[in-house]
Amino acid sequence: MEALSELVKKYALTTYSMKPNRLVIEIPRDRVKEVLKAIKEGCGDTGIYVSTIVGTDFPDKKQVRLDYYLVTHPDDNVYVLRTWLPREDPKVDSILDLFPGALSGECETYDLLGVVFEGNLFIRREFFVPTDVASKEVFPLRKDSGV
Amino acid sequence: MAVDKVIEIPVSLEVPIGPQHPALHEPVMLKVYAEGEEVVKVEVNTGYNHRGIEKLVEKNSFYRNIFIVSRVCGICNIVHSNAYVRAVEQVMGIEPPGRAKYLRVLAMELERIHSHMIINAIMAEVLGYDTLFMYIMRDREKVMKAKEILTGNRVLGDYLMVGGVRRDLSEVDRERIKDVLIKLEPEVRKYIRVFEEDETIGKRLRGVGVVKPKDVTLHGLVGPTARGSGVNIDARREGYDAYGEVPFNIIVRSDMDSWSRMMVRWHETIESINMCKYVLENLPSDGPAVPDETKLPRKFPVGEAFTRVEAPRGELTYYVMSDGRQNPWRVKIRTPSFNNIINSGFSYIGYTIADVPVILTSYDPCISCMERAIVTDLRRGEKKYVRFKDLNRGLK
Amino acid sequence: MGKPSLLKEVLKWFIGRPVTIQYPYEETPIENRFRGRHFADLNKCTGCSLCAIECPADAITMEKLPEEVSVPKNPRRIYPVISYGKCVYCYRCVTVCPFDAYITTNDYKITGPARLYSRDYSLQSVGGGAQ
Repeated sequence: MEALSELVKKYALTTYSMKPNRLVIEIPRDRVKEVLKAIKEGCGDTGIYVSTIVGTDFPDKKQVRLDYYLVTHPDDNVYVLRTWLPREDPKVDSILDLFPGALSGECETYDLLGVVFEGNLFIRREFFVPTDVASKEVFPLRKDSGV
Repeated sequence: MAVDKVIEIPVSLEVPIGPQHPALHEPVMLKVYAEGEEVVKVEVNTGYNHRGIEKLVEKNSFYRNIFIVSRVCGICNIVHSNAYVRAVEQVMGIEPPGRAKYLRVLAMELERIHSHMIINAIMAEVLGYDTLFMYIMRDREKVMKAKEILTGNRVLGDYLMVGGVRRDLSEVDRERIKDVLIKLEPEVRKYIRVFEEDETIGKRLRGVGVVKPKDVTLHGLVGPTARGSGVNIDARREGYDAYGEVPFNIIVRSDMDSWSRMMVRWHETIESINMCKYVLENLPSDGPAVPDETKLPRKFPVGEAFTRVEAPRGELTYYVMSDGRQNPWRVKIRTPSFNNIINSGFSYIGYTIADVPVILTSYDPCISCMERAIVTDLRRGEKKYVRFKDLNRGLK
Repeated sequence: MGKPSLLKEVLKWFIGRPVTIQYPYEETPIENRFRGRHFADLNKCTGCSLCAIECPADAITMEKLPEEVSVPKNPRRIYPVISYGKCVYCYRCVTVCPFDAYITTNDYKITGPARLYSRDYSLQSVGGGAQ
């Protein structure tokens, strides 16, 4: 458990834990890719995988929260990299070239929440959302989407 | 899809496989580009079965959601409700008694047995071996009966509740389930022998759809798909519920091909049968497994939790966030098929078109699981939420 | 290499009785505790509407009792009617009811227009309703 937290120590804004026993590390949005690159180099190709990307909308804070859930292998620890994006302009660097497994998560997060992953050429509307919703330019998981 | 350099050959043939039943009865479309017989590129097209469950659960209360999330997938409904219920228990700070934990493990392992049997049966059908399909399905029916005895329904168990399970297991039923499992084991061993020794199965599966261990972690593949490539990813090692106490082996094979993935499933079936027997013999009685649902707390504290469950298809994760109100603020469901199918486009390249259904089946796709997130039908400008009653149509 | 074990199985079932059940002519064996049709017992129901609130499928609606029916304790004179077409048989209403007012059966044969709602079953529990 120490290894990964050591790797990201210099990038971390704050750390706290989430139930049950997950370490959350908050990082600035413009360093997401840098952090993940350091993690990948530190853990090796088969040492870690991206399990989930979760985006959550907070209209009252005017922010969108983006969580990367990473699972180390083979000791099965879950780490959460958390970053906050402005709601009006949610842009973050894509990590597709580091972890191709982030494809499904990035495509879904863009389609449902409108977070733009810069450098990911595969993101598009109608990945999951039906045409009639996507053509209205609303992102269904935003709280004010009216969906 | 995840391959960033595709050699575009000018004269290539585009073969759409799906969206109606590409291999098994699931709506997904594989756009296969082929040169002659050889596949050069595969695009996975999704969006045919989108029901909007993540939005739906934001609009329902915590307790109603237990039943909604178990409709995400018909085959693996108990693992879905288990992941959700454990996340809610983490938020609320409730710990179920040991007996309930053991019963949860029993229900989940029964589910794993029948899920692995159905995908192996479908694999036999895809290979054109319909007799074997019928035989495996016949024996699967015994497991469904065991599930009916335990949960009250063949498929949709609705077995879990915050703080325990929803019905207890009597001594008589315990013996009956044990009896089913004892009868099942020699049958499963017979099918393992067929899969190992049959020439046709070997020729169609061995060496097809090779996934290297490095690709598994980079592409985030989970479950039997990962374990069939020698990568030991199994969320059960976390020891949630009673998995920390029930002894089991994690099956890992290193052949890396479709056959290896199917064999992982067969051997896990045997392992699950042994786990079920262990649970039935060592069922603790340390407290009421069934909580009184009328007296469950009505207040939900602010908090968040992230739970992982090893579903039959791989690691299933739930993220539940409560902001103190009756409805959850955010529920994120990441199902194993979501990673396994969308990210696995790379693995078809270099094989023939006839191999595509085989490779797809070997990933055990569950499209209902994959595409659950968003609502609606905005026909004629009126908002129409996807109601719960519409969800059960999407089950497979 | 070979497949003797399955060949033996094929021959065995070739002469044996089929496993399938000829359903309408033959009853499917069903558990006693199978979650089948359920309805409110009006002798116990107080019309508190908790089941209608908790139903995850919105299958329960509260309706006014007919004038001629007399019930022991139901001041508001409303009772739950389950639409079996919407119901997902999770039995949340059964377990959440504070007065144990639901009667459960293992009857899974719910097709047919007359049986689409629990109205008549509930009214019969206090001697009313169509037979």
